[in-house]
Amino acid sequence: MSKRDDVPDLKRRNFFKGATLAGAAALSAPFDAAGQNAAPRAGVAPPNRVAETAVPAALEVLTEGRSGSDFMVDCLKSLGLEYIAANPASSFRGLHESLINYGGNVSPEFLTCSHEEISVAMGHGYFKIEGKPLAVLAHGTVGLQHATMALYNAWCDRVPVYVVVGNIRDVQMRRPGVEWNHTAQDVGILVRDYVKWDDYPASLQHFAESSVRAYKFAMTPPTLPVLIVADAELQEDPVPEGLKLRIPKLPQVAYPQGDPGAVAETARMLVNAESPVLIADRYARTAAGAKHLVALAEVLQCPIIDTSGRLNCPTRHPLNQSTRGRSHIAQADVILGLEMSDFWALLNSYRDQVHRSSRPILKAGARTISLGSGDLYMKSNFQDFQRFADIDLAIAADAEATMPALIEQVRRLVNGEQKAAYEARGKKLAASHRADFERARVDATYGWGESPITTARLCMEVWAQIKDEDWSLVSPTASVSYWPQRLWTMDKPYHFLGDGGGMGIGYCASAATGAALANRKHGRLSVSLQNDGDLLMTIGVLWTAAHHNIPVLHVMHNNRGYHQELMHVQRMANRHMRGIDRPHIGTTLRDPFIDYAKIAQGMGVQAIGPITDPNDLAPALKRAIAIVKSGEPALVDVVTQGR
Amino acid sequence: MMMKRAILSLLLAGAAWITWADAQDAPTGNATRGKQLYLRDGCSYCHGTVGQGGGGRTGGLRLAQMPIPFAAFLNQLRQPANEMPPYVAAVLSDQDASDIYAYIAGLPPPPDVKTIPALND
Repeated sequence: MSKRDDVPDLKRRNFFKGATLAGAAALSAPFDAAGQNAAPRAGVAPPNRVAETAVPAALEVLTEGRSGSDFMVDCLKSLGLEYIAANPASSFRGLHESLINYGGNVSPEFLTCSHEEISVAMGHGYFKIEGKPLAVLAHGTVGLQHATMALYNAWCDRVPVYVVVGNIRDVQMRRPGVEWNHTAQDVGILVRDYVKWDDYPASLQHFAESSVRAYKFAMTPPTLPVLIVADAELQEDPVPEGLKLRIPKLPQVAYPQGDPGAVAETARMLVNAESPVLIADRYARTAAGAKHLVALAEVLQCPIIDTSGRLNCPTRHPLNQSTRGRSHIAQADVILGLEMSDFWALLNSYRDQVHRSSRPILKAGARTISLGSGDLYMKSNFQDFQRFADIDLAIAADAEATMPALIEQVRRLVNGEQKAAYEARGKKLAASHRADFERARVDATYGWGESPITTARLCMEVWAQIKDEDWSLVSPTASVSYWPQRLWTMDKPYHFLGDGGGMGIGYCASAATGAALANRKHGRLSVSLQNDGDLLMTIGVLWTAAHHNIPVLHVMHNNRGYHQELMHVQRMANRHMRGIDRPHIGTTLRDPFIDYAKIAQGMGVQAIGPITDPNDLAPALKRAIAIVKSGEPALVDVVTQGR
Repeated sequence: MMMKRAILSLLLAGAAWITWADAQDAPTGNATRGKQLYLRDGCSYCHGTVGQGGGGRTGGLRLAQMPIPFAAFLNQLRQPANEMPPYVAAVLSDQDASDIYAYIAGLPPPPDVKTIPALND
């Protein structure tokens, strides 16, 4: 796009201060051949005073005042955005330049990424620590298509990411060739199914209003990604002299609380239940979330089942009964689900067979209540809403915001007799929690000295090194068999951030880096249990971490394959009664093995490994943590069992 | 059938009163070959290379030090009581099963949890 003045455009040039008339005259000059200059004499140039005094068409006209992209930066700054992540591209070159020069490269600061999936996933992890969005710049059709997977993950995980896309609306402004490939008439449609709101502003004032509106929508539950198009012409043209622009106020967003009558009914049902159960999924937004959930459970002395969408309940709290969740659900007479992503799956059993079968596990007469913001906003195409569960009372509201009112109602209703019964219930639950913990400790001993290293050993060696630090686990835990939830003491919201939402591979390494970026200013030690297949998807994020001095420790869970898929293919081979020794084809990462330490070193990240002897793990982790505490990323490659 | 599956589930979930020595019904198995089959035919994917179990909510049950009679073991292979995929005789013979059984039966007990500092905080 660097030489658009090959074919000047009148509308655009009308904005140009000072040069407007001259430029227009220069443009019209060649077409005046039939007019006053129509009779040139051979060998004598025709007199043309306009052409002699005008700015030649091929000469760049410089912007003396502010550009549109400067104003866009003002808009972004008004939102309090700390960072903007991007792979550089021509469709937002104006905005890029304004961010680093006009904006001083602070608030937002430019983060260089090698892929838009990395940019968005970094925003995903960043939000989970910081509680506010990170901005992402994406390049028209191609950049946004790169971003789609991570956007879908964020959508499923109810995480807002603020995406700004460059695009060129006016055909006259597109250079022939590649810019047409990178432009769309309606670029937002690429992701409209999984962003909450998008807009293509036609003016700077429109951009100002839409940028604030998008932020407000993103932060209103259910919190979700949003997208704004920054038209290249709007970016690059000067702000016309005298044009009055105004950036609207960013409102403080109040979280919707549940209907008081429904909350009172919920309290009544819970208080009168013999076996109430609280289930929390993507529930805890802040530290208050877990605190309130525990308070409610302690009044009722009832089990909490934390499905690990967030850290909803401290792992060592005696009422945390997550490891025996299905047993409690099967015995429950009242179940309250908080911000559930898949209530049905918890209330039913399901078998993965040719003839799929399912059955409810709830006992007859059991009543269910859902409290969550998911009912406030939904779209139809992508199926992340899961199967429709049997719910007796559905309260569409933010669960964390509703919890204080629910606790108050419950406290008001509980009588002395009930309190005594609750205490007896609580003692049994505490005993089962202790038993579960002890059993997990013993389970972890099996295969302790084996190579490949067990996931239990991996997790507990990490725990031994970080437990006395102010640590933050910035990765999911399903692929390491939830050992951290079973054996670590997790009691702060940043101790666990949930999973990737849409479960698209490629989330972890980038989200972990984004979370570590947010943790950096708090001085926390960020640790990620990093799957090998996931890292391969977005491996360039290692360079981003090195370049921006983002301290994060990646401890590789390197099982040298796509282990879940290996198990799926094994299931098919068994089902089809053939070739049960061949499922490794296409599912493993062997021949050659990948040396992640070398890759990381090539990206500027200090790295150790591959480690195959479990006794080498502790010293390697010690060294790596020292590197991270010095302010740099580090990687320890550990060859592990499948799960 | 339901009752049979329930009993099998119970056995697999850890019927501690049964020992490998009680498994008199087991045919003679070759533990060395059993290990090869165990690692090759997918057992280890879910149960771990030394039968430690996949753990948590996603993996297979622990097999090490979880003795069950061979008949129950074979039934679980042929007609699993849970999410485990079935291994029919066409792909895993009774002899293969007995070899795998021998490997699992010979898996040593783990170290005492008290001797592992990382598990004692």
